[in-house]
Amino acid sequence: MSILGKLLRGEDPHSLAAPYALDALEPAERRRFEKHLAGCDRCAAEVRDLAEDAVRLAYSAAAPAPAALRDRVLAAVRATPQEPARSGNRAAAQEQAPARERARRLPPHVWGTQPPPGRARTRGRPLFAPFATATAAAALVVASLFAVQAHRTEDRLTAEQARAREIAHVLAAPDARAASSEDGRGRSIGVIASASERVAVVTLSGYGTPPGGRVHQLWLMRPRVQPRSLGLLAGDTPLVAKGLDTSSTSLAVTVEPDGGSATPSGQPIVQLTLKSVGFGE
Amino acid sequence: MRMRGARGRAGCGHGQGAGGHADELLVLVAGGDQRAFEELYGLVSGPVYGLVRRVVRDPAQSEEVAQEVLLELWRSAARFDPGRGSALSWILTLAHRRAVDRVRSARAAGEREQREALRAGEPAFDQVAEEVEAGLEREWVRRCLNRLTALQRQSVTLAYYDGYTYREVAERLSLPLGTVKTRMRDGLTRLRQCLGGAA
Repeated sequence: MSILGKLLRGEDPHSLAAPYALDALEPAERRRFEKHLAGCDRCAAEVRDLAEDAVRLAYSAAAPAPAALRDRVLAAVRATPQEPARSGNRAAAQEQAPARERARRLPPHVWGTQPPPGRARTRGRPLFAPFATATAAAALVVASLFAVQAHRTEDRLTAEQARAREIAHVLAAPDARAASSEDGRGRSIGVIASASERVAVVTLSGYGTPPGGRVHQLWLMRPRVQPRSLGLLAGDTPLVAKGLDTSSTSLAVTVEPDGGSATPSGQPIVQLTLKSVGFGE
Repeated sequence: MRMRGARGRAGCGHGQGAGGHADELLVLVAGGDQRAFEELYGLVSGPVYGLVRRVVRDPAQSEEVAQEVLLELWRSAARFDPGRGSALSWILTLAHRRAVDRVRSARAAGEREQREALRAGEPAFDQVAEEVEAGLEREWVRRCLNRLTALQRQSVTLAYYDGYTYREVAERLSLPLGTVKTRMRDGLTRLRQCLGGAA
């Protein structure tokens, strides 16, 4: 590296504004720069201008989206709850925003690409937009997926992105259907499944973690065959189950010793039929 | 031109640019208006998909990323604040970041060589653009990119269209890090001057 390069290396973070606007920073560097931005009006203004320039580059790459994408997105929208709006009157809501939050506001380039401060705590109870009963399960799965993403750390990011991709893939299947079941205590199980892809996304909600180090294990119930373990459910985190036998009739969850069992050791705490999602033929 | 608050949609699309219209629609979408989302989809799905496709390249993966981004618009519309920038900028920034995340994790997952091999046979940026209906904006941007110095242009496009970090760009161009950062800033600034600043 040249002397000039070395001199420039330890330097003033302002010089990162352009790489930042182009999304050309590594994650750790990006975080450091965003911290700096929060307290640097000059950089924030510069980043905003540079980001608008970058958007011109983006806009010039426009290409017609595949027609099928529209159907899938609009279908998913009907099944997906929104994050709560701050208030009907945005300006008033901002006046009332805590000073800390105002101080941490970042330029347009930043907000929206990370959860707003303090939002994660309230994420568990999103304000559900009205949606059809048939899609409630999809909403449940999607909501818990995003709740998980809100808490993500850098280490978990890749695994979660991989799961998000798998879930997007299930949602995208032409025969993807959703079902859910809720007990009298507000606990529920939800599934989005595609029989053609033989895949399902399963979410448990409200059951917490079993006491005594035990675990929730998910089983696939098939006629005249032993239940097949689909894996352990960690809290509300969606589980993606692949290679499902289309003759499967239902899903069941049991409480098992740490690490899970080869066969269910007790009665299911919850069961969900797969008939309405196209299985069990 | 920036719309504050939710006006009726009756007059939309007449006498205002797509940018201002998108601002207004996004505010309606934040209020749960599914029809406004459909309209917004019509405005931004092309730019979102095209950008993602430009960065990610693989059509199936591009579609997946674009789907995630468009769904996120619906879900997170309440985060948009018209007072802090245009909706189009917010949306495309989000799309770009998701596309870059995808392309980097794909590279990290060892698909790098495969992608490089694919890319070697691909046409330069200005020819790729010909695949799709030529727009005035594209033509302007292309012309302005061509007015940059080669290093400015490469620094900007390797980062923005190919998803490389500035360190990777420096490596590929055999330049010191500081030089790449400067080329990126100068490139973007000159691009703005050439384009006349109007979004």
